[in-house]
Amino acid sequence: MRCNKLFALLGAAAVAASASDSIPAARPGKPLLLRGATVHTVTGAVLPATDVLLRDGKIAALGPKLAAPGDAAIVEVSGKHVYPGLISAVSGMGLTEHNSVRGSVDLAETGALNPNARTQPALNPDSDHIPVSRANGILTALSVPMSTGLIAGTSTLIRMDGWTWEDLTLRAAVALHVYWPSMAVNRDPGAARSAADQERTITDNLRRLRDAFAAARAYVVAKDSAAARTDFDSRWEAMRPVLRGARPVFVHATERKQIEAAVAWARAEKLKITLVGGIDAWKVADLLKAHDIPVIVSPVLTLPLRREDPYDASYANPGHLHAAGVRFCIANDGSAEMGTMADRNLPYQAAKAAAHGLPPAEALKAVTIYPAQLLGVAAELGSIEVGKRATLIVTDGDPLEVATQVEQAYIDGARIDLTSRHTRLRDKYQQRQEQLKAGGR
Amino acid sequence: MRRAATMKFWPAASLAACIILSARAQISTTPIEGLRDATPRVHAIAGARIVTAPGSVIARGTVVLRDGVIVAVGAESTVAVPADARVWSAEGRTIYAGFIEPLAEVHLPAALRTEGTGGESTAGARGGRGSAGAAPATEALAPAATARSWNARVTPERDVARLLAADDRGVAALRELGFTAAAVAPGRGVFRGESALVSLSGRAPGQILLRPRLAQHVAFEFGAGSYPASLMGSIALVRQTLLDAKWLRDATAAHERNPALERPEANASLHALADHVAAQRPVVMDTQDELDLLRAQALADEFGLRLVLRGRGAEYRVAAALAAKKTPVILPLNFPAVPEVETPDKAGDIPLSTLQHWELAPANAARLAAQGVPVAFTTAGLRTPDTQFWNAVRLAVRRGLAPDAALAALTTVPAQALGAADLVGTIAPGRLAHLVVATGDLFSSAAGAEIVEVWVDGVRFETEAAQKVDARGTWTIAWRGATAPADLRIEGRGTARPRARLGDKDLTFTQTRGQLTLLAPAELFQGQDAKGTVRLAGTVTGGAIEGTGLLPDGTAFRWSAERTTAAERPAAPAPREEKFLANADAWPAGAYGRKGIPDQPDAVLVRNATIWTSGSAGRIDGGDLLVRAGKIEGVGRYLAAPAGAVVIDAAGKHITAGLIDCHSHTAISRGVNEGTSAVSVEVRVADVLDATDVSLYRQLGGGTTTSNLLHGSSNPMGGQNQVIKLRWGAGPEGLKFAGAKPGVKFALGENVKRANSTPSATGAPLRYPQTRMGVEQIMADTFAQARDYERALQAPPGSALPPRRNLRLEAALEILRGERVIHIHAYRQDEVLMFIRLAQQEKLTVATFQHILEGYKVAHEIAQLGAGASAFSDWWAYKYEVIDAIPYAGAMMHRAGVLVSFNSDNNELARRLNTEAAKAVKYGGVPEEEALKFVTLNPAKQLRIDDRVGSLEPGKDADFVIWSASPLSSYARVEQTWIDGRPYFSLADDAALRAAAATEREALVQKALAERVRTLGTGSTPAAGARPAADTPDIIRLLQAIEARHAHEYQGIYHDGADAHNCSTHALQ
Repeated sequence: MRCNKLFALLGAAAVAASASDSIPAARPGKPLLLRGATVHTVTGAVLPATDVLLRDGKIAALGPKLAAPGDAAIVEVSGKHVYPGLISAVSGMGLTEHNSVRGSVDLAETGALNPNARTQPALNPDSDHIPVSRANGILTALSVPMSTGLIAGTSTLIRMDGWTWEDLTLRAAVALHVYWPSMAVNRDPGAARSAADQERTITDNLRRLRDAFAAARAYVVAKDSAAARTDFDSRWEAMRPVLRGARPVFVHATERKQIEAAVAWARAEKLKITLVGGIDAWKVADLLKAHDIPVIVSPVLTLPLRREDPYDASYANPGHLHAAGVRFCIANDGSAEMGTMADRNLPYQAAKAAAHGLPPAEALKAVTIYPAQLLGVAAELGSIEVGKRATLIVTDGDPLEVATQVEQAYIDGARIDLTSRHTRLRDKYQQRQEQLKAGGR
Repeated sequence: MRRAATMKFWPAASLAACIILSARAQISTTPIEGLRDATPRVHAIAGARIVTAPGSVIARGTVVLRDGVIVAVGAESTVAVPADARVWSAEGRTIYAGFIEPLAEVHLPAALRTEGTGGESTAGARGGRGSAGAAPATEALAPAATARSWNARVTPERDVARLLAADDRGVAALRELGFTAAAVAPGRGVFRGESALVSLSGRAPGQILLRPRLAQHVAFEFGAGSYPASLMGSIALVRQTLLDAKWLRDATAAHERNPALERPEANASLHALADHVAAQRPVVMDTQDELDLLRAQALADEFGLRLVLRGRGAEYRVAAALAAKKTPVILPLNFPAVPEVETPDKAGDIPLSTLQHWELAPANAARLAAQGVPVAFTTAGLRTPDTQFWNAVRLAVRRGLAPDAALAALTTVPAQALGAADLVGTIAPGRLAHLVVATGDLFSSAAGAEIVEVWVDGVRFETEAAQKVDARGTWTIAWRGATAPADLRIEGRGTARPRARLGDKDLTFTQTRGQLTLLAPAELFQGQDAKGTVRLAGTVTGGAIEGTGLLPDGTAFRWSAERTTAAERPAAPAPREEKFLANADAWPAGAYGRKGIPDQPDAVLVRNATIWTSGSAGRIDGGDLLVRAGKIEGVGRYLAAPAGAVVIDAAGKHITAGLIDCHSHTAISRGVNEGTSAVSVEVRVADVLDATDVSLYRQLGGGTTTSNLLHGSSNPMGGQNQVIKLRWGAGPEGLKFAGAKPGVKFALGENVKRANSTPSATGAPLRYPQTRMGVEQIMADTFAQARDYERALQAPPGSALPPRRNLRLEAALEILRGERVIHIHAYRQDEVLMFIRLAQQEKLTVATFQHILEGYKVAHEIAQLGAGASAFSDWWAYKYEVIDAIPYAGAMMHRAGVLVSFNSDNNELARRLNTEAAKAVKYGGVPEEEALKFVTLNPAKQLRIDDRVGSLEPGKDADFVIWSASPLSSYARVEQTWIDGRPYFSLADDAALRAAAATEREALVQKALAERVRTLGTGSTPAAGARPAADTPDIIRLLQAIEARHAHEYQGIYHDGADAHNCSTHALQ
C-alpha cells in the first residue's frame, strides 16, 4: 500500500514537472532559402557554397546561386554546413522521462507476448528529451518498445516536433520488435540457478517464441475461414501485417549465439528481419551478408562482451560490417536504462566507429541515410536531395565532432526552437552569477 | 592427550618398563557394562619399508605400538619385539605416518558445515567471486557465548572440541584414503571458531579428541543486509576485531592491576582471540582467489599472526609473492575437468584463463614447493574423494611435486602448521600410533600401490582395498553335474569393470569382493537350440574357485576352477615430461596478461608532435617530449636525443598527459558499497584492489592512466578511496599511487535516503537516515563522536582503561584533522549548500563534490569553500534528483572559479574521457586547452597529486598518451599509453597480445582435445579421479556426467570487465 502511494506521488510529481516549455513550430507558409553553405548531401558530393531551397516542407531545389522565389525568406549560412537531420534508430523518445521514477516510464508492457502494444499513443510530445536531443541535430527517432519478455510491440518513427503524438508520427508501427531470449548460461557455481535449469529456460523461451508465430498463423487461417467461428484475439490480430510480410520484424539480439539462432529462426519462419543490437555481429558478418540481414548496431559505445574480446571490439564492429558488405546503421541503446538521456550523443557513436576502422563518410551515413534505409524512409529522409523532407541542420562543422554546434534545425521545412530545459536553466542561473557579481560577491 | 607429549622423551631403553606398566586395558571413566575387554593393545609390525618422515626411510624395519602410542621404530635388527606384542608381518609393505586432513568437517554438527554440503563440494561454494555468501545459518548454535561480539559473524569463541558429534561414515571414508587424524574446522562466519584435532577412529568424542583449540578459522565472509555486506567490510571487521582483542586483553590486565578503574566489558569472542593476537596459535584464513591470499597475508603481517592460508587451487599465480613469507598453504585437489572443446561453439565460450587453469592446476603444489612455500593437501572440494584423491595426489607428483613433498603435504606440513607435530605427522617413539600400510610407494603412478591397513590410536583398520580379490586371469573349470566348455577368461584393465568369457561366449559378470556371479547362455551347456540362462555363483579363494550353478530348468550342479594364468599387469607407461603450453608467467591469467610490468627505457624522446602540456607551456606544435628514468625531463622544440634513447617519431600525432578519472569503481573486488551502516568510513578500497580486472587494460586503450577508486554512494559516510595508476600487469600493491592524499567517500541525497528503504518483510526498522534532514544530523553527530574520541585518546595513561582504537572514529578524526580529504556524491543545491556550511563549521577539506549536477546553482559557494567539482559532463534524466542537470554545469562552475573535472563512474566511459572533456567546449565554450585539463591537471589537483601527474612538465611522472588526432576530436584514437616512462599500451603490443592469446588458446584447445578424445574413446575417467560413468562405456552417460561436472567446475575466474559498478543508476548504488 505504502509503496503504491509512494509511486503515485512520484508519478504526479513527474507529470507536473514534465511539460516542456518549447513551442512547436508552425507549418511554414513561405519558401525559405538557405544561402551559401557547404552542403553535405550524404548520398552525393559535398557541395561548397550551395543554396538549399525549402518549400512546402520539402527540399525544392539545390545548387549554387539559386534564384530565390519572390516570397522566400533568405537565411545567410555561408561558412556553415548543412547536413540532413540525424536519425536515432533505437530510442525511448517520448516513452521515458526519469529512468528511476516509475511513474514517468512507459518503455515496456508487462508480459512476454505483446505484439499488439503500440508505442505511438504512449508518446509524450511534451517530453524534455525531445528539445534536448534535437538541439544536437537528432530530428527523427524511432521510439522502440522494450520488453522483459519476447514480443514487445510496434515502434513509431517520429519527427522531433509537434503538439500531439499524431503530430509527431512519421510512421506508425514501423516494425514488430522481438527481443531474442538470452542464450547465455552462467556456469559459475555461485550462480543462483543451475546450468541445466538455465538451459531449460532458454529452450522454453525459444519454444514460446516459435509457438507465438505458429499460433498467430493458425489464428489467421481460422479467423479468415468462412466456416469457423473464431473469437477475436488482439495479440494475433496485431501480427497479421507481419505474417503478410507487410511489416518487418526487428530482432533485438546481442551475442553471437543469439544472432545465429535468430537468423536460423527467420529463415525457418520466412520472415524478413533486421537485427538490433548486434554487438557480436562482426563475428558473424559472413552469415549476415549471405542472408542479407541488416544490422542496427546498438550501441557502439559499450564494453566488449567477453574478457578476451579485443578492447575495441564494439568500436570496431561497424567497420568490420562495412568491410564485409553487411547493411548496417549506428544507433544508441536508447531504450535501455539511462539510454534516452544519451540520445543526443548519437553522432559520437558513429565517430567512435570511424576512429576504429569505419571510413568517416560511412560513419556519417550510418546516422543519416542508412537508418533511413533500414527504417524504410530513405525516399523522404536521410540525405539532402530535392524532393526529400526538408529535415536538416545547419552547423559550424562536422556534427560527429563533439565541439560542433548545431546552429539551426528544420523539420519539414519549419525552423525549430533549439532551446530546452537545459538552456533555460543555464540562462536562469547565469542571472544568479551576474547578480552575485553585481552585488560585489 | 598430553601423555603422548611426555612419552616422546622416553628413551627407547626404558621400553621394558613401558611393557610392564602398559599391559592393561584402556583407562576409561565410563563404567564398564558387561564384560571387560582386556585384549592387549601391543603390536609389532615387522618386515616393512618404513618412511618415518619425508626423506627418512628404514629399508626393513619394525614399529612397535603400545596402548595407542608408538614406542619404538627402527631397523629390524635394532628393535626388539616385546614379548606381549602381537606381531604383524608387513613383508613387502611400505609404512607411512598416518595422514592428516587439515580441513575436515567430520564429527561437525551440520549447522557448522560449509553451506549447502555435507562436506564442502566445489571451490568457491561459499559465494563465488563477486557474490556474497548467504547469511550465516549458525543461529541454531549462536551465540556460543552470551557475553560476546556484537556481530553474528564473529564467533571465535565457538570451540569445535565442545561440539563434536558422532560420525562413523565420514570418518571411515577419510580413513580409506589413509587419513588418521583431522583438524575439524567450523565452516561459517568471519571468525568461525576454533578447530579441534581428532583421531579418525570413529569412536566417541571423548576418545577421539586429540587437541582442542587447534587454530582459529577466519574467512572474508559477507552477506546482504547486515554488516559486513562487502569484502572490504569483511576485512575491516577482521581488523577491528583483532584490535579489540588486543585492547580487551590490555584493558582487562589494567583493570586487574587497578580495580578502581572502569570494569571492561565481558566478551568471550574477544577473549577467545587472545592467544592468536599474541601469535601463540595459528590462524587459518580462507580465500576465494589468489588475490585473497595477498589480503590475508597483509592482515597477518599487520597483526603478527601465525598464518596458515587456505587456497582455492590457483595459488601458483602468486607463487612468487608467497615465496617472501613462506606461509604454509592448504591446497585443494579438485583439479578442473578437461574443458569441453570438441564443439567450436562451446570452446569459444571457455575463457583462456580456464584453459590455462585446467593445464596448470595440477602443478599448483609443485610450483609453490619450488618457491619454498610449505604446502598441505585437503580433500575439501573433492566430490568423490574415494576416486579423486589419490589420482590427484599422483597427478600433482607427475606435474613436478617431489614425492617427499607430497608425503610432507599429508603429514609433517599440516602437523607443523597446526602445531600438532608433537602428536602426529611422523613415525617416532611418543607419537600417536597412526600409521598407513601400503603395498608400495603410494606417490608413484607407476607402482599403483594401495593402502591395505590404517592404524589409528593403535587400532588396526583393514581397508576395502585389502579385501579386494582380483579374479582376472584364465581359469580351468571342472563341471560336476553339468557339461560346458572348461576355459573361463576374466579380463579387464584399470578401473574398467572386468568381463568374463566362457568358451566362445561372453557372460554377464559381476563381482563383489570374492563373490562372483556369472550368467551364461544355456546353449553353452545344453547345445545350440537350448533357450534360457544358466546361473553360476562362485567364491574365489587364492587360485581356486568353488561354485554352484542352476540350469534353466532348476537343476542344481557344482563346479570348481583353478587359475591357470594370472592377469597380466600392464606395463606402466614411461612417465613423460609434461610440456606446459599455458603462459604461466603472465599476470593476470587469461588474455592480455603480461610478464611483469613493461621495461622502463633509460630515455625516451617523442618527436615532432602537437603537445598539449596542460601546463604553463600550453600547446606546443612540432614539440618534443624527453623522458628519463620514468620522469619528464623536457618538453619543447628540437630536444636532443640522449645516447641510447628510444626515439618515437610522432609527426602528425598529438600528445597529452595521461588522463585522470576522478570517479571510478574499476578494479574493486566483491562489493563497492558497504552501506549496511550509515557510517562505514573504516572500510578501505585499498584492501580489495583487483589487479586482474581487464578494465584496467581496456582503459589504458582509452588513454586513462590514473583513477580515483571510490566507495559507492549508498550511505552518507562511505569508505576510504584509493588512487591508483593503471599499471596493468602489476599486483594490487603495484597499482597504488604512492603518496596520494588519503580520502574518503561521502554521499548525499536519494541514494543514502533510499538505501534499505523498502520496509522489509520482517518489519526490521529502516536504516537512519531517511531524509536529507537526517543526512545532515548523522554527519554532524559522527564528527562530534570523533572529537570525543580524540579527547579519550589524550587521557593521561593510568587514569583510565587503555584507549580503544576505533577505526571508524579514527578515520572520522583524520577527516577532521584534514589528513583525509572528502569526495562527496551530491546532486541538489540544497544538500550541497548544507554540506558546504557543515564543512565550514567543522573545517573539513572537501576535495571534490562528485557528480554535482546542480553545482551550477551554487558555484559561487563551492568556489568560496575551495572545493573541486568532479562532474558528469552531460548526464541527466536518470533519477528525480537530477531533474535540473544541465550539460553547461561544468563550464559554468569553471567560470565561477571552481576547479572542475569530468569523470566516468563507468568502465566504458572511462575509456573516452577525452571526448567528455570536449563537451566543456561544446556546452559553454571552455577553451580547448582548459577543457582538456578537466581530465588531466584538474583532477590531479583535486586528488592532490598534481606535483606528480596531470601535465607534461619537467619533473613530473612520464604518464602520457600519443593520439592519432587532437585529443578533443571524436575521431582520435589512442596509439600509445605510457605510465612512469613505461609503455603500458600500444596498438602494436595489443595486436601482439591478441595474437599470442589466440595461439595459446589453440595450443591448449588441441591439448584438451587430445585428452577429450582419449577419454571419450576409451571410456575411462575423463577428469582427474572422476568415477567411472557406467558398467559399459556409454558415451552419452559419459557426456552427461561431464556436463554435470562442468556445471560446477567451469567458472569465470576473472572479472569479465562487465560494468557492474555504477553508483549513479538507481538499480545499483
